[in-house]
Amino acid sequence: MLEHVLNLGAYLFCIGIFGLITSRNMVRALMCLELIFNAVNINLITFSNSFDTQETKGEIFVMFVIAIAAAEAAIGLAIVLAIYRNKNSTRIDQFNLLKW
Amino acid sequence: MNIIELSEPLHKTIFFLLEIGVIFGSLGVVLLNNIVYSAFFLGLVFFCISLLYFALNADFIAAAQILIYVGAVNVLIVFAVMLINKPHSSKIRPSWTIGDKFTFFICLSLFSLLVSVIFNTPWFNITLITESKNLLEIDFTKNVQRIGYRLLTQFLLPFELLSIVLLVALIGAIVIARRENLIRTKEKKKLQIEKNPRIF
Repeated sequence: MLEHVLNLGAYLFCIGIFGLITSRNMVRALMCLELIFNAVNINLITFSNSFDTQETKGEIFVMFVIAIAAAEAAIGLAIVLAIYRNKNSTRIDQFNLLKW
Repeated sequence: MNIIELSEPLHKTIFFLLEIGVIFGSLGVVLLNNIVYSAFFLGLVFFCISLLYFALNADFIAAAQILIYVGAVNVLIVFAVMLINKPHSSKIRPSWTIGDKFTFFICLSLFSLLVSVIFNTPWFNITLITESKNLLEIDFTKNVQRIGYRLLTQFLLPFELLSIVLLVALIGAIVIARRENLIRTKEKKKLQIEKNPRIF
C-alpha cells in the first residue's frame, strides 16, 4: 500500500525529468516541472499519512511546495511570453545568447 | 481519525483507477505533439492526484491542490499555450533523437533504482515504532485545525516569508510580461504619416 503510492511518486518524478530534458517547447518544460513538484508532494503526503498522523508535518511542507510552485510557474510563464514576444519562437535550443 | 474508512478491496480499486489516470495522463503530457492536448492531460493528472490526496487522508491539501493547481496553474498554462501560436505538425508523437533515447535509458535506470530502494527498505519496522507512539496520544481534532495550529505557532516564520514570496512573484510576473509600448507608438505614428503621402 505504502510502497504502491511511493512507486507512483517515483514514476511521476522520472517522467517529469524525462519530459523536462527532452522537450523542445518551453511551455512543455514548465508543465513537466509541475509534474516533478507533484511527484514530490505525493511522496511527502504518503509519509505524513503513514508515519506522522498526529503532527502532519508533511502536509504543511506540501502547502509550502504548492505555493512556491505556483509562484514559480507564474514567473516562468511570464519569462516565456517575454522571450516569445522578442524572438517569435519557443524552441529552447535556439536561445544561446548567454552562451560563452 | 480517518476520513474514509472503506473496505480494503474498494480502497484498492480506487487507488488502482487513480493510478491509471495519473500514469496515462503523465504519458500524454510528455509524449503528445499537440501542446493543447498536453495541457489538458496535465489538468487530468492534477485532478487525479487531488483525489489521491483525499484517499490518503489529507483533505485540506486535496482542496488546495484543486484550487491552486487545477484552478490557477493549469489555467495559466492554457493561457500561455493559447498565446503562443505555432504551426502544429501532423504527427501525433514527435520523433526521437539519440539524445532522447539516452535520456530515456537514464530515466529508466533512475526509476528502477528508486523502485528497488522502495522495495528493499523495511517499512514495517518504522510503522511499528511510530504507530505505537500514535496509539498513546490520540488527537480528535480535524485535519484543518491541526494544520492551522501548526502554521501559526511552529511554522509562523516560513508562512510569513511565503506571503512575501508570493507578493514578489506577483509583481515580478506583471513587470516581466507587460507590453512596453511607450517608445513604439511615436515611431508608429511617424511611419504612418510618412506612408500616407505615397498613396496620394
